[in-house]
Amino acid sequence: MTDSGRQLAGIIGLYDDPDSLIAAAEKVRDAGYEKWDCHTPYPVHGLDAAMGLKPSPLAFLCLGAGGVGAGAAMLMQWWMSAVDYPVRIGGKPFFSWPAFVPIAFELFVLFASLATMGGMLVLCKLGTWASPLHDSGVMAEVTTTRHGVVLNADDPKFDEESARALLEEAGCDDIRLLYENVEEEA
Amino acid sequence: MSESTTVAVEAPAAGKGGKLKAIGLALLALGAILCAVAYLDEDSRKRFGYAYMLGFVFAWSIVVGSLFFIALQHVTRSVWSVVLRRTAEMLASPLAMFLLVALFLPLLALALLNPDYTIFKWMIEGGMGNDHLQHEKAPYLNQSFFLIRTVFYFAIWMFFAWFFVRGSLKQDSGSGDVKPTLRMRAASGPFLILFGFTVTFAAFDWMMSLEPSWFSTIYGVYAFSGITLAGLAAITIAVVGLRAKGLIAPELVRPDHLYSLGGLLFAFTCFWGYISFSQFMLIWYANIPEETIYYVHRTENGWLAITWAVAILRFILPFFLLLGRGAKMDGKRLVQVSVLILVGQVVDLYWLIMPSLAPESGPMLGWQELAPLVMFSGVILLTAGLFLGRHKTVAAGDPLFEKSKAFHL
Repeated sequence: MTDSGRQLAGIIGLYDDPDSLIAAAEKVRDAGYEKWDCHTPYPVHGLDAAMGLKPSPLAFLCLGAGGVGAGAAMLMQWWMSAVDYPVRIGGKPFFSWPAFVPIAFELFVLFASLATMGGMLVLCKLGTWASPLHDSGVMAEVTTTRHGVVLNADDPKFDEESARALLEEAGCDDIRLLYENVEEEA
Repeated sequence: MSESTTVAVEAPAAGKGGKLKAIGLALLALGAILCAVAYLDEDSRKRFGYAYMLGFVFAWSIVVGSLFFIALQHVTRSVWSVVLRRTAEMLASPLAMFLLVALFLPLLALALLNPDYTIFKWMIEGGMGNDHLQHEKAPYLNQSFFLIRTVFYFAIWMFFAWFFVRGSLKQDSGSGDVKPTLRMRAASGPFLILFGFTVTFAAFDWMMSLEPSWFSTIYGVYAFSGITLAGLAAITIAVVGLRAKGLIAPELVRPDHLYSLGGLLFAFTCFWGYISFSQFMLIWYANIPEETIYYVHRTENGWLAITWAVAILRFILPFFLLLGRGAKMDGKRLVQVSVLILVGQVVDLYWLIMPSLAPESGPMLGWQELAPLVMFSGVILLTAGLFLGRHKTVAAGDPLFEKSKAFHL
């Protein structure tokens, strides 16, 4: 979709209060859009449900990485104490698992927290250094006073007219089009 | 959430808790008769003392666990818990505490009047034998100091149960009086310090001293984690149950509130696992005979199965069942896990108390073991039923009530 040579990236509806945003998000969700997002200056309670977001996969990443950490710790201690350099301590077996539990616990926590941190950054798409939101200056507004719903142009259901109609129906009076690389045009 | 509806706080007073009262009374009577039979039977009299202690500590852990919960909410000035704090007040009612005191007397009577059958071996003449460790402990472990301490513990718990429950009931008239809340907040801090000491030493006196040579400095914390879990589990079951019966309006206690209860259950499950493993690992590692004997008794002659049952029921199952976010918001799931935790508390107490009798003969389970448990469960249900019949089921007069109603995570 082009408009005077510019690539349409999406459409944003800006709201002044979180309740209108939630109402709009419910409408967009029910209309069946998939590639869309909300931007707010602060966490808005109930927005997850209004957007129909699925639970984040981060929890499973956290548990899985923790398990890997604990397993690695056990394996490491088994190899060190029972295989590579066995030393009899206190008459106990070389592989004395109770003694290895604290380190397994620590590595569980370490792996889980690092994976959660890294996973969070990846899932937040850190590394996307440019976006139409920034280029158009809308980001400055939705991080200070306003609440925005963005419908991406690459959503299979997207077309400009119906998206605009949907946002208007949700009580929006500030609808703007977002373009890729606005700055270059300007 | 908007203040759309005036929530029906008060259900019709008639018949409230009537069924609970009846069941409680029936269990109490049945248990008491069975207890008497077990005591009169010369062969099971010795066993009976231990079983009685198990039943007593089970009920005690629910009552003081709930008392701890109440004080915790006041000291942290929690908003979320105001809608369900009355349920904890129901479980920690002064009447329940009074019945516990009364039902502790048979144990004392057994020790003072019929020392051949007492569970406190160190208390009787010559009971310490020529064990040097026990003689060293004599300044602490002796009859008169034990009695003084027991009176002191009960006096503290009794007073604060009365203080916290009365303070909350006073606000029921609906005046929204802030004064009782402020007074309870001020008292909750000092009480929690006293609570820590009394619970620790009560656990030493009532359970650890059953094997008088043995000692573990972490024992009090271990007992505390179990007590708190039992209290939280009982509160959770009662809250969800009362809500299902309509005695707490469903819109009052929402998933947001349940999540906090579930979070506490989960946190204390982890805490219990941490403490119990710490105790085991340090004793196992140091390998000092007078300490390891405790675990030798609990891993041989069939006791190993009980040890694993404790670990699975108290930590492994509740941990995974409560791990997910959804599980902590689901009343049904929380009740299931809470029942599991209460069963875990019983098995844990069995594991703590019973091997002191005769570890080499293996775990025994008969009606003699269950009779006191039935009786003490009856105490909890009966006092809860009586409380329900007399008082409002939610602390609607608390100044923070409206805020708590609107609580969101």
